[in-house]
Amino acid sequence: MIPLVAVVSLRGRESRTLRLWVPLIVLWLVIVPLAVVFSPLIFVGCVACRINPVGAFSVGWQILRALNDTEVEIEHRSAGISICVF
Amino acid sequence: MNEHRRQILQMLSESKISADEAERLIAALEEPVAGSSSQNASDSGTKARPKYLRVQVDSEDDGHEGPTKVNVRVPMQLLRAGVKLAGLIPPQALHRANVAIHEKGILFDLSQIKPENLEELIDQLSDLSVVVDQKDHATKVKVKVFCE
Repeated sequence: MIPLVAVVSLRGRESRTLRLWVPLIVLWLVIVPLAVVFSPLIFVGCVACRINPVGAFSVGWQILRALNDTEVEIEHRSAGISICVF
Repeated sequence: MNEHRRQILQMLSESKISADEAERLIAALEEPVAGSSSQNASDSGTKARPKYLRVQVDSEDDGHEGPTKVNVRVPMQLLRAGVKLAGLIPPQALHRANVAIHEKGILFDLSQIKPENLEELIDQLSDLSVVVDQKDHATKVKVKVFCE
């Protein structure tokens, strides 16, 4: 399952937390038709760079699927940012 | 354990308990042992595979910078996909990347990363735990890399 939502939490120095729920599914809905339209160009580009297009698509899909449960959290002083992908 | 068994047999010989009761008592004595030995066997046979690689950086600065904390959780599946991605790099790009890595003094050959070595690499990572503790006059940095 590809990630559908990313949660971005921003914490300012005043201890106020802004939590943004980013619906990644909307992003995929935009990207997929574009990828289909540009697939011949992508294929030609892969062949020109001597990259197996099927392998590239397979690995790209695996990376997309593996992004689930990725978490990055950075805090500095009282400010911080956290990104979780579900 | 033998002492308990001997007591049960003695009680049986003294007719304090019946043969059925003695059998049940001995079976009750043996149950926990059998359970724990089978559990140990399963633990050694199938080791739980880690799902995430975690990197934690904890920096305490006594100066004006202040403390910094970094906490990154990367799914192992993403590492697997990343290694497969390295396998797609064209040979000429791989060569240039290797040269750049060697110039930095790192003796590592990217062309050695192959999908067939992937599972072994991930298995080795499961036992990995790196703790770096650095203390300066003003800063104290602790880096932890481990799998969970």
